[in-house]
Amino acid sequence: MTLPPFQARTESVATTSEASPTSGSRRRFLHHAGAIAASATFMPAVRAQSKSIVVTCWGGDYEKAIKSCFAEPYAKETGIGVSLVNNADLTKMKVQVDSKNVQWDVFDSVGPQITAGARQGMWEDIDAKLVDRSDLVSPGGKDYVGTYLFGGGVAYDPKRVPEGKRPQSLKDFWDVQRFPGRRGLRTRISETLEMALVADGVAPDKLYPLDIERGFKALDRIKPSVKKWIETTPETITLITSNELDYTYTYMSRVFPAQKAGSSVAMATGQTINSLEYLAVPKFGKNTEAAMRYVAFCLRPDRQAAFANTVFFAPNARQAVPLVAAESRQFMPDVLNPAHIIMNDGWWADKYDALQKRFTEWMLT
Amino acid sequence: MNHSLSTSATVGLLAPLAVLLLVAFGYPLGLVAWSSVYVDGVFTLKAYQNLSGSTLFYRVLGNTLQISAVATLVSLVLGYLIALHLAALEPRRRMPYMVLVMLPFWTSILVKSFAFGIVLGDNGIINQAAGLLTGRTEKFELMFNRVGVIIGMSNFLLPFTVFPILASLLAQNRSLHRVAEIMGAGPIRIFLRITLPLSLPGVLAGVLMAMTLSMGMYITPALLGGRKDLMMANLVDIYTRQTLDWGLASAIAIVLLFMSGILIALLLRVRRAEGLGV
Repeated sequence: MTLPPFQARTESVATTSEASPTSGSRRRFLHHAGAIAASATFMPAVRAQSKSIVVTCWGGDYEKAIKSCFAEPYAKETGIGVSLVNNADLTKMKVQVDSKNVQWDVFDSVGPQITAGARQGMWEDIDAKLVDRSDLVSPGGKDYVGTYLFGGGVAYDPKRVPEGKRPQSLKDFWDVQRFPGRRGLRTRISETLEMALVADGVAPDKLYPLDIERGFKALDRIKPSVKKWIETTPETITLITSNELDYTYTYMSRVFPAQKAGSSVAMATGQTINSLEYLAVPKFGKNTEAAMRYVAFCLRPDRQAAFANTVFFAPNARQAVPLVAAESRQFMPDVLNPAHIIMNDGWWADKYDALQKRFTEWMLT
Repeated sequence: MNHSLSTSATVGLLAPLAVLLLVAFGYPLGLVAWSSVYVDGVFTLKAYQNLSGSTLFYRVLGNTLQISAVATLVSLVLGYLIALHLAALEPRRRMPYMVLVMLPFWTSILVKSFAFGIVLGDNGIINQAAGLLTGRTEKFELMFNRVGVIIGMSNFLLPFTVFPILASLLAQNRSLHRVAEIMGAGPIRIFLRITLPLSLPGVLAGVLMAMTLSMGMYITPALLGGRKDLMMANLVDIYTRQTLDWGLASAIAIVLLFMSGILIALLLRVRRAEGLGV
């Protein structure tokens, strides 16, 4: 084990104290005793302070899971501390990279943000020597890595909507005759366009490249039945629980905490849209290598399985899938089942802006 | 008696505020203006050209002006009625009512917008009360449309119209009203010929604040609006956070600033023309 940095300071103090030889040895003893006591009690803390990286996070249960599955084990294994910052958005990251004053070493975000950052040249290329991606279901791009998948689908209130009247697929969500009710969709074109196409009959594994015109035609059909185009994610749950909407598009990671808190909300798990969460390392970082090692650490099958067991995100590492507990797997979409959609953020990367603009205009007319 | 300050005293007193404004307002604003014309290391007017050819921009601009005007009008009418009532009360009885007007002012707009769901929703207080009273099952659509946005915004804007109007009502010389009464004028004539004209500076101040505030509204249209109620600030949000097109976002912000500026200039002109200088 290497000596903690304060060892050097102790020694230098001891050297200067030689000026008064009588008290020197006693003072030296006290210093050493103090150092030993400190190293015994505060060793991990001191080591963590010696070097640490900052990783962006999303708060809540997600933060807790990241802390226990990735951040703390990484610190224990490498001696490099990990501090998590919440509410990190791409805008703030861009300011840091533009000013070459980078505070965040690893950026954790969803596809649209990560690919937007990639187009702006904000990310460092992933170091293939440190990060092995051969085992990943969806490897990501040259400067960002997919970490785990999270499913979105159709939510409803099981108390209000009796069995048999619950939409099980995206086709059902679009079928306003068989499933009448007030619907909620997102104001974001990605995911929404995939939903529309699958509802219109396109096979989930043959989605890409997306048939944009067909997608917008399918959106035209659902438009009159959508009561709220939802801008903030929490509303995808609250508008169901407050009985303002009957069916919304929401995420599994939002449904389970709501259920645990006692809300009457459920999600159809037969057909889901699975987005990837990504990690990227910004340019001009002060701890690039430690950041790359952290990315590699997060992809390790045992860590991926631990995370999946905690918050039910499906692992992106194939080897991790069998390691996930069976009772956790029932809360995760089986991404190997062809009924489920896996988002292709690479396809969206250079089309998102124009399509989002078109979609926003479409909503206004 | 000479009340005017010496030049050095004036400079000394104004300097702290001027510095604060320069650093905290002027500098960032300058950056926004700069990034609207300086994109990726080149000086260009592309962002403004993009805007001038964008139907999305014109639609949202129209939305913003229309919603702002209606919300301002609603809060002006309601605010005037409230101010009239408050002005008629004795000062001691006025206090609790003033607190009631201020109360929403002290609540976060985000909280208020969410709370409106409880009032305006399908299962909100209004629809439930209406259902109980009339027995009808059909719901009033008060949320996720223009109506919801206007209600939410007017609620936010009310204190900004009530207080300037109240101030100009209280400043009126009561003997004018008495004289008019003695000369045989009825209450309506007194209101139209004395109260209203004398309160116009307060009305203008209220309109000015309400209009400029509502043009930058963001959270209320996002939470209470429907798909057609997108406003300028929401569009800026899309360009800043989703597509990272800061050039375009800055250009929109600058256009919005100019429009507010023009509006203020116009209103000040009206005030001067009417001889309402305060």
